[in-house]
Amino acid sequence: MPTIAELVERGAILKIEVELAPRDQPLRLLYGTPQFVEWLREILGGAQPSGLLGSTSPVEQIDDLFHSFLSGAPLIFTRQFRVVRAEDNAVWELKTPDIRIFGWFMAKDCFVAVFGNWADTIKDHDLYRGYRIAIRRLRRELGVDATLCVRGVSPDDVISV
Amino acid sequence: MTLFRFDIDARSRTAGRFIGRVRRELLKAITEEKGGGLTQQELARRLEGHRSNINRQLSGEADITLRSLADLAWALDREITFELRRPDNTEGQNVAPVTSTIGHKPARIIGPKASSE
Repeated sequence: MPTIAELVERGAILKIEVELAPRDQPLRLLYGTPQFVEWLREILGGAQPSGLLGSTSPVEQIDDLFHSFLSGAPLIFTRQFRVVRAEDNAVWELKTPDIRIFGWFMAKDCFVAVFGNWADTIKDHDLYRGYRIAIRRLRRELGVDATLCVRGVSPDDVISV
Repeated sequence: MTLFRFDIDARSRTAGRFIGRVRRELLKAITEEKGGGLTQQELARRLEGHRSNINRQLSGEADITLRSLADLAWALDREITFELRRPDNTEGQNVAPVTSTIGHKPARIIGPKASSE
């Protein structure tokens, strides 16, 4: 059963950081799969949805979301994060006006991002089920279902503030 | 590679985080008021507006003007505090770069000062 350090060591996940403000402390942990990081690179490269809903750009939305998460700011349940389906070892979704990020919590305040996509695309093509199944499969392949996965579905189970 | 840094330029970072923080403050106040029975419908009634407009502003799908921010604060019976201050540098805190490295020339390494001897 691998540890988080071993998953990082073998390249299954990467630690994700953003610039913290002078008085911020990193109070949560964020990881992503190599595929998710590739998607982040596309967003940094200027990718845009067909119709931008938010009043800020996709990179600004993601930076704000990651900064809130990492600096331990209170996250608003259902507005900024929610469980995709109430089940054991659930898949969770982080949200901005234009973007949805899917993954799971390895531990409280420790999220692994696996898929990112435009909110419109996900709703139009109903991708929730596909992402959920793919993430559950990935966890099985990594052998982390029993040890590195929060079972509960309450916001308090995954976020400490 | 074991680390990925999501690095955006300082101007975008300031804008995105400020706008996000304003929205979260509003949502926090609304959530607190919900405990006292205030609904978004009632908020819309107090502001003589549409609930859907307020919802779009809160979700980030519509801009919040200073006027509508002040109106929402009034409807929620909250005071607004706003301050612009210079960043202060004290020991032990993070040192954020003033500008991003994205889109800029490679870092120029300045060599050690030549000895005067």
